[in-house]
Amino acid sequence: MNIITKNLRLFWQGTVLSYVALFAWFRPVTYAASKILMPLAQIIFFTFLGSYASGGTDVDFYVIGNAIQITAVSGIFGVTMSIGGDRWAGTLPYLFGTPANRMMLFFGRAFMHIIDGAFGVVIALGWGALLFGVDFSHTDFSALGLTIIVTTTSTCGLGLLMGCLSLITANVMFVNNTVYFLLLIFSGANIAIDTLPNWMQAFSKALPLTRGIASARTLIAGGSFADVAPLLVSEIGIGIAYGILGYFLFTWFELHAKRKGTLETV
Amino acid sequence: MKFKNLIVYWRTILRVAEITLRHQWNDSFILFAILVQPMLIAILALFMLRGSGENYAMFVVVGSGLTGLWSSLLFISGNSINGERWQGTLESLVAAPIPFEVIIFGKNLANVVQSLLSMSTSYLLAALLFGYTLQMSAPFLFTASVFLSIFAFISFGLIIAPLFIMYRGIQQWQNAMEFPVYILAGFLFPIALLPNWTTPVSYILPPYWAARALHETSTGEGDLQKILLAWGMMLIFSIVDLFISSKLFRKMLYKARVDATLETV
Repeated sequence: MNIITKNLRLFWQGTVLSYVALFAWFRPVTYAASKILMPLAQIIFFTFLGSYASGGTDVDFYVIGNAIQITAVSGIFGVTMSIGGDRWAGTLPYLFGTPANRMMLFFGRAFMHIIDGAFGVVIALGWGALLFGVDFSHTDFSALGLTIIVTTTSTCGLGLLMGCLSLITANVMFVNNTVYFLLLIFSGANIAIDTLPNWMQAFSKALPLTRGIASARTLIAGGSFADVAPLLVSEIGIGIAYGILGYFLFTWFELHAKRKGTLETV
Repeated sequence: MKFKNLIVYWRTILRVAEITLRHQWNDSFILFAILVQPMLIAILALFMLRGSGENYAMFVVVGSGLTGLWSSLLFISGNSINGERWQGTLESLVAAPIPFEVIIFGKNLANVVQSLLSMSTSYLLAALLFGYTLQMSAPFLFTASVFLSIFAFISFGLIIAPLFIMYRGIQQWQNAMEFPVYILAGFLFPIALLPNWTTPVSYILPPYWAARALHETSTGEGDLQKILLAWGMMLIFSIVDLFISSKLFRKMLYKARVDATLETV
């Protein structure tokens, strides 16, 4: 019991402190610029582009797709900052010097970004209703809320993997930005998956967000939880798979760095 | 910035541009901004705009290239003075007998010219991967538009860089400034889709006139009168931007020297 309490405390402290100390956008103006205005501008840009392409008939498709995709700002960039931040701040040796449970440390880094990312999606959907008149009158809100949480969690799973890359390479912002834009193409946020070539469809199915976006569209159009449940199960499964892969990479990195003495230079 | 400095110090400008180019080719973020991001936006737009008329592929090539130009101007040229500060070379540059804005002009020249690669990669992408036959309707007018756009973007960048270093509050909004210009300048869709009140904002943005000139000369949708208007507006804005930037640079250097706060200005 004592071990569980200790680990839960470690999880919570690691969660809060890593978010406050290592998330570089955690200042009011930077947060507003990067987490509120940038996503809003992205939604407007792709919605107008999509509206231009479709002759103004498919506005909801683009608003919902991009609003859900916004979770990748927290899931990819935020989580990476919270994991890679220890290396940039020079605190990685202390972190690896502690006897703390690595799994609690690692997954704790993503927790606040799940909440933050879900909050960002809610704001984005609010913008969608306000600016583009997205109709939520037939929406099952509890199912939509669950979809947002599941999609944000699965995207943070990919973010955990990306965060580990920041411990290995100095070019992580290149990788992260590329992944973020690839998600715009492959997640179905802006292009209907079934119109993509087969190899692109296969790639889409291996990514988080794809099923989450499809679920959100179904629910907002009036679908029920039963309609999207299989999609959500797959979505969370994919997120867990990426998270576990990230955890193994994290433990491998620690082992390798300690053996070779390359903690700061790998 | 005094226009005559561009002529007097042309060798310095070219040398600074060369060194900047060599230096930046090792920076993965810059490669992302000028090559990867415009290419991914081009892929997105090519899929999204399928069936929007026969000229849409050329429209996407030019528009996605312009997104690379703007992102590069915002994130790379915008930090061109800050970059020197981070490397500890700002004091030496300010103390050099060459006017400081000439050096920043050279850096911006390199940034904008290398960003043109984004248009070339989008062109290759559309032609080779998507199999489009891309034909430039007015190549000479397009080339002239490219040169004027380069000048307009560099001049605009000369305002952004000192603003970002003098007023940190503005730079904190940097991440939020990328997409609004994509929207307001009509890079990938016409600004006629936007609410009417945004049109005057578009008109005061040099990237909007650059986009108009480049789209109209590449797709052949604009007549000569429209193209000349876009060229004229780019020239006017460039002159105004150079004038404003000279005031900003003077203020920045005065502030730094009087307050002795070059590192913290």
